[in-house]
Amino acid sequence: MSLFIAIAVGLLMGIVFGFALEKSRVFEPGIIVGQMQLRNFIMLKVFLTAVATGAIVLAVLNGFGLVKLQPKAALYAADMVGGLILGVGITLAGACPGTTLAQIGVGYRDALFTLIGGLAGAAAFSYAQPWLNKTLLASGDGKIIFTDLIGIPYWLGALGFAAVIVFILVQLERWRSWHNEMGRDVDGNFSTSPRTPVRSRRAGKAAIRT
Amino acid sequence: MLKVSLRDKAWSPYVAGILIGLLQIPAFLIIETALGASSSYVTVGGLITSWVDPSILRIDYVAKHVAATVKNWWQVALVVGIAIGAFLSAKLSGAVRKPISPIWSRALGSASPNRRYFVAFAAGFLMLFGARIADGCTSGHGLSGMAQLAVGSTVAVAAMFTGGIVAALLMLRRI
Repeated sequence: MSLFIAIAVGLLMGIVFGFALEKSRVFEPGIIVGQMQLRNFIMLKVFLTAVATGAIVLAVLNGFGLVKLQPKAALYAADMVGGLILGVGITLAGACPGTTLAQIGVGYRDALFTLIGGLAGAAAFSYAQPWLNKTLLASGDGKIIFTDLIGIPYWLGALGFAAVIVFILVQLERWRSWHNEMGRDVDGNFSTSPRTPVRSRRAGKAAIRT
Repeated sequence: MLKVSLRDKAWSPYVAGILIGLLQIPAFLIIETALGASSSYVTVGGLITSWVDPSILRIDYVAKHVAATVKNWWQVALVVGIAIGAFLSAKLSGAVRKPISPIWSRALGSASPNRRYFVAFAAGFLMLFGARIADGCTSGHGLSGMAQLAVGSTVAVAAMFTGGIVAALLMLRRI
């Protein structure tokens, strides 16, 4: 395939991806921080729905032999350390590496700093990679998937996994309807006061003093 | 009947999630790869750094990521497309955003834009440094790895949410 076609396909897919991220509101800092503070579950709903859909799609495509799976190697130490650092970054950014671009698209100015920080972080990792490769990234189990461990075909495990996710989502939606998790400006912001509690407290003290 | 319009301010998370999951079809069939986002930061970050320090291209890892291959540049195009798609969606729905989300003044306990910009830069740095250690982010390990029932990806996603929840409870104020 030519690079030109790959870039065209990437742009088209990205536009659909960005559209879905914006419509789902999962790119909003209020939705991401709200999820991590366990008071908003839109992120989990979008995420699990996309995982279940992907599992069903791949069960069919792989089950009929149309595509090969592309799992990443299991490097437990790297997955844990990297995942923890990534998680802290996601919360403080109010974004993931992908949704940072969606934030830029809708005009969030701080997301430009997230992007620049991300490029710097990727470059810093690149310098450290030759050394990390011999240490943290060295040992693992290869590209293993759960269905290989229990000895059933991937398609069967993937469909079962999707069914479990659908069950969880039905319960989640019954517990908290997504309609109530958006906020007035569909940004996961539920505060009516434009001021921070800290500021208003300070302002209150100042008022008493004068 | 469920009504979904391109002009809606919000879609059901389930409609949007299905649409995102369906993107695995062209990814696997056309590009022969899974959805992912964080490798593109190495491609672009490595290229930009090479203007100042050309020796970075001698690191195999960087050379592999900046090479003119279908997968590398498909992913860069994908993340650029995300910005375009979100822009179009917001324009169609008439959504107007402030330069900084109103939640940050409460979460950070300060309305200072500079403070937010600094935190955003540091957060972006951590995000990609961590994602590259783990070899994937919310897309690569999360969406694609979990859908493929990958053992390592499941560990990475559990760590991601653990780190995210601990940071949200310890480092940010209640939003």
